[in-house]
Amino acid sequence: MNNSVISIQNLCVNYITPGDPVKAVNDVSFEIQQGEIFGLVGESGSGKSTVVQAVLRTLPPPAVITGGKVIINNKDILSISNTEVLQYRWKQISIVMQSALNALNPVLTVREQIEDVLKEHSDLKGKAAEDRTKELLSLIDIDVSRLDSYPHQLSGGMRQRVVIAIALALMPPLIIMDEPTTALDVIVEREILAKIIELRKELGFTILFITHDLNLLLEFADRVAIMKNGRLVELDKAQKIRSGGKHDYTQKLIRSLPSASGPREKGLLPKPKSLVLGDQPILEVQNLSKSFYDSGIFNPMSIDVVNNVSFQVFPGEIIGLVGESGSGKSTIAKLITRLIRPTSGDIFLKGSNLKISEARRVPLEYRKQVQMVFQDPFGSLNSVHTVYHHLARPLLRHQLIPEQKLFDYIIEMLETVGLRPGTTFAEKFPHEMSGGERQRVAIARALSLSPDLIIADEPTSMLDVSIRMEILEIFARMRIEKNLTIVFITHDLASARYLADRIIVLQHGSIVEEGIAEDLIQSPKEEYTKQLIKAASPGWLKSLSFNNTKEKDVNHV
Amino acid sequence: MDNNQDSIFTRWIIGILRNRKAITGVVIIFLFIFLAALGPFITQDPTAFLSTPLSPPSWEHWLGTNGQGQDVLAQTISGARQTLLVGFTTGIMVVLIGALIGGISGYYSGRIDDFLSLLINVFLVMPGLPLMVILASWLPPGPATLTGVLVLTGWAWNARVIRSQMMTFRSRDFVSAAIVSGEHNIRIIVLEIMPRMLSLLASSFIGASIYAIGAQVGLEFLGLGDVSTVTWGTNLYWASNDMALLTGSWWNFVPTGLSIAIVSFALTLINFGIDEVTNPRLIAERVWREKIPIDTVVNGITPVVKDHE
Amino acid sequence: MNQSLNYLLRRLGFYFIAAWAALTLNFFIPRLMPGDPAAIIFARFRGKLKPEAINALRETFGLTDEPLLGQYWSYLKSILQGDLGISIAYFPEPVTNIISSALLWTIFLAGFSLIISFSLGTLLGTIIAWKRSGKLDSTLPPVLAFVGAFPYFWLAMVALYIFGFELSWFPLGHAYGDDVTPGFNMPFILSALYHAALPALTMILVSLGGWMLSMRNIMITTLGTDYISFAHAKGLSSRLIMLRYAARNAILPNFTGFGMALGFVLSGALLTEIIFSYPGQGYLLLQAVRAQDFPLMQGLFMTITFAVLAANWMVDIAVLFFDPRTRK
Repeated sequence: MNNSVISIQNLCVNYITPGDPVKAVNDVSFEIQQGEIFGLVGESGSGKSTVVQAVLRTLPPPAVITGGKVIINNKDILSISNTEVLQYRWKQISIVMQSALNALNPVLTVREQIEDVLKEHSDLKGKAAEDRTKELLSLIDIDVSRLDSYPHQLSGGMRQRVVIAIALALMPPLIIMDEPTTALDVIVEREILAKIIELRKELGFTILFITHDLNLLLEFADRVAIMKNGRLVELDKAQKIRSGGKHDYTQKLIRSLPSASGPREKGLLPKPKSLVLGDQPILEVQNLSKSFYDSGIFNPMSIDVVNNVSFQVFPGEIIGLVGESGSGKSTIAKLITRLIRPTSGDIFLKGSNLKISEARRVPLEYRKQVQMVFQDPFGSLNSVHTVYHHLARPLLRHQLIPEQKLFDYIIEMLETVGLRPGTTFAEKFPHEMSGGERQRVAIARALSLSPDLIIADEPTSMLDVSIRMEILEIFARMRIEKNLTIVFITHDLASARYLADRIIVLQHGSIVEEGIAEDLIQSPKEEYTKQLIKAASPGWLKSLSFNNTKEKDVNHV
Repeated sequence: MDNNQDSIFTRWIIGILRNRKAITGVVIIFLFIFLAALGPFITQDPTAFLSTPLSPPSWEHWLGTNGQGQDVLAQTISGARQTLLVGFTTGIMVVLIGALIGGISGYYSGRIDDFLSLLINVFLVMPGLPLMVILASWLPPGPATLTGVLVLTGWAWNARVIRSQMMTFRSRDFVSAAIVSGEHNIRIIVLEIMPRMLSLLASSFIGASIYAIGAQVGLEFLGLGDVSTVTWGTNLYWASNDMALLTGSWWNFVPTGLSIAIVSFALTLINFGIDEVTNPRLIAERVWREKIPIDTVVNGITPVVKDHE
Repeated sequence: MNQSLNYLLRRLGFYFIAAWAALTLNFFIPRLMPGDPAAIIFARFRGKLKPEAINALRETFGLTDEPLLGQYWSYLKSILQGDLGISIAYFPEPVTNIISSALLWTIFLAGFSLIISFSLGTLLGTIIAWKRSGKLDSTLPPVLAFVGAFPYFWLAMVALYIFGFELSWFPLGHAYGDDVTPGFNMPFILSALYHAALPALTMILVSLGGWMLSMRNIMITTLGTDYISFAHAKGLSSRLIMLRYAARNAILPNFTGFGMALGFVLSGALLTEIIFSYPGQGYLLLQAVRAQDFPLMQGLFMTITFAVLAANWMVDIAVLFFDPRTRK
């Protein structure tokens, strides 16, 4: 009755350091049955990627596998010879790697990278190999004219598809997909996933799917395993997990992800019943445009990143600026904070007083009133300076707090954002803190100048799923406590719905639609908005499966 | 409470000195500097025409005598003084100029960068030796000329490297955050970015010094230094002039050459050490290799070393 | 295609600017020195040369009574016409003649050594980075680094002493023996190779470490990339991954480094030539310095600069050719 494609038993993996080794995978066991879609979920540091790389034995130094068995086709991969390992790879298991966008060799063509697997593991040569290659490309809807393209000539989505084609080349019984779509935009991501699932039905292989996004997995997985800190904490059927699961951690993960459809869940931070907004906007953007020039003697090209955008933000509100990559949302953030200058258009702060887009030098006053929280919590802090330095510098620059009160003020700021005790955190360096803690420091830094407006550029997208809500809640709280206005930039419609009062949807540098958050979500008017909402809601898989044979939207590949 | 510049620097130095390679190199260099400083007190007078020329090493003259009858050991040790002085001075000046031009070019971009980049690239692509020869020929011989000529031909390389690093840092968010909080540009460069570039600046200094010592010796060998002074380069010049090779008096040129090599090598070691400290992955890999039995290491296949059966 | 042409032309433009800068430097250096260059020349050569020679010298430098700009224009014109002046040491030979024969020997020796050194160093760097096994990686780099720490010409001296003087395995100098006649004949070619062997060997030995280290470092970075992990996962053979995936990518930045190091390596080659009395540019340089032959010195500076610029441009073309990312 044992129909398992792979059986992992008591797997242990260590990373060797000058000191004690780090236990990355600690006694993990599970089996995958033929034909199922098995999901493996975990946050950063959980060990999920380590497990699958251990199965292929592709872990780079300083990793060592210190125990357990991995049984495929009645052989334990951990005890066979090195030559046998090379034979196993790709024939028995193939993998679509994390950041598959970079998995392709930049100096070889698509054809060469598919054919080298065929040449290595099969007898296919010459014309036969080429035919098989073309067949694989058509399986995942890539035009054969792309055979001789180089990776840099393909879009992200296309590169992803090529990697999948390579994974299918030898039709292995087990295909591992390690966060295959995380780097892609939501709509493209859903399309590719739907395609994968369709292919599985057609060709019958087994999938081990790794992700940090539990909601995504629950749409299509049969069974799900959850890992934390190197251990397996839960393993069950998808429906059972969806209804709560046994472990606390599972429940925490499920509650972490707001949904973009259906009623706004209870128990989440309630929005203030009434916002007393002024009638004068605090920030007004008019006909804002930004183009970048690609200088070339023969063919100068100008790329329009932001195209004639106008909107208003009223004091006290939270605006969600939602868009995918290339929508121009981050550029707008940089324009408002004057990190770059607009090509044309106006930015007004507090009425017509500070017409900021023109001024060569940004007045210090403006810098006090407009602050920013960046996407990468590690990158936005300087690794050679302490937390104290990060908060003290701006205060000293603006001379807002007298020197003797500086210390107490900073400690107070740290504790406001939840870093207690403030005195301990003040002395820490960025690498001594977790991602969530660093982001809190970044928020404290932004708040310390008592600004009127805060631009938050994807503040949670590089954080672990389970702590994203906490960070968003800091923003929600601060809006009320500190009388803030917030421009919240994100690609995730669901978190915009959660936090923002109004939502503005951007695509290719222009505003597609805007409106009050709930209204926009419940009754979107534009096609693009509808697509975004559908992709972020449960049931997206079914809706895409029916659409697969239709013509593709020109914007997505 | 706030960490000032000093402690960042001291922490960095301590980190470097913990590295085996770096500390070895540093010790060797200090040894040479020490000997060079003590020179006149511990050796015979290098300029005195004492004994028979070209006599091999003996008890009287540990390294023999050169073509003028001067003591080779004394010449080698006192030769270190000017060579090292010029070498390290050039190193410092090159790094300062490189940091200034490269830093400004990398930080400000735009037209300033276009112009400075062009300047850097032009100096970079011009071959050094012929230019040095011309300059040194026209100018009066001596350490000042040497330093000037070396700096003029050698500043561009480091400027380019520093510019490149500066551009990388400039695009990072912590710089954007500082700008958004209203910090002055100069303060950002000095307070935020420079502390992150300590290793690069140190490597640049060392690389420039290695270059300066080698090039200096080359120029003096051609006869462009002040041949009446005692430096490593002029030692070799005279050795070649006095037909050391053809008379088989190897002691005439070997000690100086070895000294040059040892000093350059020691400096290189320090650079290796700095490399390892800034790229901890190198150390991690070394430790990994040491702890795993040698036959299980194959590129591309994770080893299996069971610690319990 | 457009973009590549664009890029090459821009690089060419840069090289023209660099060449112009070198020319201008050459022009201004004598004039920037303390004192009147004419007076300096006169003082240095008084009694050694006839007055006509000194006048010829003045003309070479363009030290006429014209205003500065006028001098500059005539200077540029004469350079472009290939007139580099008259040599002092070899008076009255024109500089161009003297240099051109020496140029060939330098290109032969330095070019030959450079190509071997670069190829061998790159190959060694690839293998060492790939093997990663303790022994090779911990011995070869430090050893070669140590050898590379010696001045080029010093190692040449040692090599000449041991292999030429003591053991007599190799000739003591010059480009070819007295017993052969220059031309395309076998004895001549063999003699030339025999005479080039030792100098080439020293140059290769000194520079090997540098190329090896730089390739090794780039390889190590490359080996950490995702596409290498993917290649391993695909179960491809070690050799295929090492060459076609890793080395093929790592060599591109190495090529660029090659271009930049060209000028530097050439300098070392010149000094080596001196030790071996090899009749190339280096040897000429020494004669020029000894005789204070400024026209020759400046002529050498120009030729060497132009040669390096040309070589750099060829490297640019090669990089463009090998890196598909430059094509749209």
